[in-house]
Amino acid sequence: MIIEKKARSPRYPGRRSFLSKIWIGLGFVALAELIFGGISFFVSSRKQDTENSPPLIVNAGSITSILPGTMTFIHAGNCYLSRLKDGGFLAISRKCTHLGCAVPWVAERNQFECPCHASIFDNTGNVIKSPAPRALDLYPISFEHDMIRIDISKPIKRAGFAPEQLAYSQELS
Amino acid sequence: MSNFFFHLRPRKVPAQALRFTLTYGLGGAAALMIFLQFLTGLLLNFAYEPVPVHSYLSVQHIQSELFFGQLIRNLHHWTGHFLVVVVCLHLLRVFFSGAYFKPRRRTWYSGLLLLLLVLLANFTGYLLPWDQLAFWAVTIASSMLAYIPVLGIPLQELTLGGTEVSGATLHLFHSFHTVLLPFVFFVSLSYHFWRIRKSGGLKIESQDTQEMLPVVPELLVRELSFAAVVTCFLLFFAMFFDAPLTAMANPSLTPETVKAPWYFLWLQELLQHMPPLLALCVLPLSFTLFLLLLPFPGQKKEKMPRLVQLILICFFLAIVALTITGVWFRGAGMKFILPW
Repeated sequence: MIIEKKARSPRYPGRRSFLSKIWIGLGFVALAELIFGGISFFVSSRKQDTENSPPLIVNAGSITSILPGTMTFIHAGNCYLSRLKDGGFLAISRKCTHLGCAVPWVAERNQFECPCHASIFDNTGNVIKSPAPRALDLYPISFEHDMIRIDISKPIKRAGFAPEQLAYSQELS
Repeated sequence: MSNFFFHLRPRKVPAQALRFTLTYGLGGAAALMIFLQFLTGLLLNFAYEPVPVHSYLSVQHIQSELFFGQLIRNLHHWTGHFLVVVVCLHLLRVFFSGAYFKPRRRTWYSGLLLLLLVLLANFTGYLLPWDQLAFWAVTIASSMLAYIPVLGIPLQELTLGGTEVSGATLHLFHSFHTVLLPFVFFVSLSYHFWRIRKSGGLKIESQDTQEMLPVVPELLVRELSFAAVVTCFLLFFAMFFDAPLTAMANPSLTPETVKAPWYFLWLQELLQHMPPLLALCVLPLSFTLFLLLLPFPGQKKEKMPRLVQLILICFFLAIVALTITGVWFRGAGMKFILPW
């Protein structure tokens, strides 16, 4: 009885309003959890393809079949294999760094020419003419016996060409 | 039926509110067009398959095999494009009647949300035919996202479900286009209408002569006849102009001319003239902020300053000019050409 009197007096806000505040608070917590859960579900459903993907190895032919100073289109990987004059290899992505168009190699002029905004790249992927902001992406190259293998699942971003990006096969060096 | 109608509308409206030139029927036209999109979209979704290659074939199937298939796709396609135009004009009309101050502030905000939804719905729908036009337009538009500092690249990967446009992208765009966006559309459009009613209907210049007319038949007849005119126009347009369907999407072959969807083309055009950070982040953000803050400064005066008007007109004219340049004056490699 004493407790009831206290609850009604204005000095004590009372259990009723205290409990209803807790309920409202819990409601917001539940809402936050739902939103968090929903967003996490969505994000995890999107990430599946990119993060846990196994390496996608593409066979680019034998080392001897690709001569120094040539550019070869690797159909299976939808990328270019550039072999410089000194024998170093570069696997170059076709995706223009400007807005993502597919860049073809134009053999007559010895350069990559983007059809969308006329960016031009040289045989190392370096930008010759903007608007492309940086060099074309590279793919990691590995050698197995005398075969060249390209991992097309992990494009490597870079500002420009540097000699350490070149891959050399051990047998030749 | 009439009960539902009076739920949305009052029994009587001021005679002035019936004048066509007060609104040019733009909001009503937009609502009608969204309704048409629901209907035609519903039909198209029965025959559409959201998987690469199949999606292209199913659109071909819709166009060539299904009863009125070509017409329904045309209608959905062109109504979507006209909707963007009508919604922008509606925004301008509301702006120039100054109908965004309290008590119409929430109507203005829900309207801005609806504008965003219209653009999103249009953009997600753009990819669905899975032809070269769609594939490369979405590639370019999503690559523009990547230029936003910090958030850009995660946002792009989230949108695409990888590093380039693929089946995962199509899947996401399809579920946004057919489930999430229609639902959000329904909720926010209902809210938009409810707010109009709550804030006392349309904004009228002078309130001296308060001649009130009954909504039925005065307003109802006007609205139905205008709806009939708009529907006829869209139907005729869809009968004479086919929605484009180019070759199937080919990730290794970029066509000669690649452009973002026309309502994002002003951004692509800006990108040609200034650094990416300015073109794709600072300018669009400041324009959005301008539209968001618009209802605040004039709460007391009810009259917008000339400067504010001037800023919006300049922004708008710039966007129109850039869009026109992008659509008609850009040829292969985005070189400047003359369309004639």
